[in-house]
Amino acid sequence: MTSASAENNTLGPQALSRLVVVIATDRDRQAFTWLYRHYAPRLKSYFLRSGMAGNVAEELAQETMLQVWRKAALFDPAKAGAGTWIFTIARNLRVDYLRHDRIRPSADGELPEDEADDAPDGEALLITSEREERLRTALQTLSSEQEAIVRLSFFGDKPHMQIAQELGIPLGTVKSRVRLALAKLRAALDGDK
Amino acid sequence: MSISHHLTDETLLRYAAGTLPAGPALVVAAHLEGCPACRARLLACEAVGGALLDALPPELMELDALARLMARIDADDAPAPMAAPRRMPDFPGDIRLPAALSACEIGPWKWAGPGVRMSRVSVPGGGESGAVLLRIGAGRRLPEHGHGALELTQVIYGSFSDIYGRYGPGDVSETDEDVDHQPVVDASGECICLAALEGQMLFKGFFGRLAQPFVRF
Repeated sequence: MTSASAENNTLGPQALSRLVVVIATDRDRQAFTWLYRHYAPRLKSYFLRSGMAGNVAEELAQETMLQVWRKAALFDPAKAGAGTWIFTIARNLRVDYLRHDRIRPSADGELPEDEADDAPDGEALLITSEREERLRTALQTLSSEQEAIVRLSFFGDKPHMQIAQELGIPLGTVKSRVRLALAKLRAALDGDK
Repeated sequence: MSISHHLTDETLLRYAAGTLPAGPALVVAAHLEGCPACRARLLACEAVGGALLDALPPELMELDALARLMARIDADDAPAPMAAPRRMPDFPGDIRLPAALSACEIGPWKWAGPGVRMSRVSVPGGGESGAVLLRIGAGRRLPEHGHGALELTQVIYGSFSDIYGRYGPGDVSETDEDVDHQPVVDASGECICLAALEGQMLFKGFFGRLAQPFVRF
C-alpha cells in the first residue's frame, strides 16, 4: 500500500480494515492518517445527510475518528469490516448528539462479544471483506423502491410510518419492502443465493 | 435461555440506523444482550450502514482538521467512563437487570392498578421517550395498550402469554397498531418486563388512563 493510493481515496475495504488492525496493534499514526483521509470526509457527508449543520457534522466526524483511534483494539475483523465498525461509532455519536444536543466524549455501551473466531486476523479479515463485498454488490441489485427505503432508513430521522406517508404508499408496503430488501442483503452476506 | 420471540427486521434496521426513540431503543438493547440471533441480524443491518457510508461522496474537511485531531491524540487522556450511581427498586430473587439499563435512572415501584406495579426508566437525554419496568402479579393482565405505535415488551423475569404464544425471560413482544393482543401473566408467578412505546404517549396515553390518577412521573 502506498500513500499515493491513500491520497486518491482508492483504498479497498480489506486495506481499510487492515489499517484499523495496525492502529490497534502498533498505534501507527501513518495508518491512522490514511484511514482518516478515507473516512473523515465520508463521515462528514453522513452527518450532513442526517440533518446536521456543517460545523456540527465536521466536529462529529472528528469525534468519530478520535474514537476510532481510542477504540481500535475493540475492532474485530472477524465480525465486521472497518466501514461497518466505523459506521456504528458514528451512529452512536449521532444518537448521543441528538439526545444531548451537544458532542460528548464516548458514552456508548458495548454489546456482549459473540464467540471469538480463532482464524488469524488476516484470514478473518479476508472472509469478512468478501462477505461485505457480496453485500455491496447485492445493494446495487435492489429494486429502486427497496433501495430508497433502505437509504431513507439510514439517512433521515423518520419513522417508517412517515416515510410511507411521504412516498404515498401504505405502511405495510414500506414494511414488506424493508423485509424483502433485508432478506436479499442477508442472503448475500451469508453467501447463499 | 432459549428465545422464541424476536425483533422484527424493521425495528432492527431502525436501531442499526440509530433512528429509534430512546425508550424503544433501550428495550431493543436489552433484548440484544441475551439474543445472539438478533445480534447477528443487527450486524447485517449495520453492514448495510457501513456499505452506505463507504459509498457516500466525500465532503471537504477543514484544512487543519487532521492536524487538530492529531494534536488531540498526542494529548490524549481518555476519561475513564464513570458508572452513574443509581437508585434501584427492589426485585424478587436475584434478578439481573439488562446492562443496557445501567446508565438509566430507575424510579421506585409505584402502584399502577390491582396487581400491577410500575417503575419509570429514564434514558439520559431521552426526553419524553422512556421505558417502564412492569411488575405484574400471576394471572394478571398487562396494562391496557395504546394503538397506532410500535410497542416493545421484553420479559426479564417470569412469563406471560398472548395470542402469539408464551413469552419467557429473554423473549420480546413487538406489536403495533394492527395488533389487538391481550397479554396475561402466567399463573405460575409474577412477571417483570421492560416496556416502551414509540412516541410521546408512554406516560400520557399508554398506561395513562390506568395509572394517571395514582402515578405521577
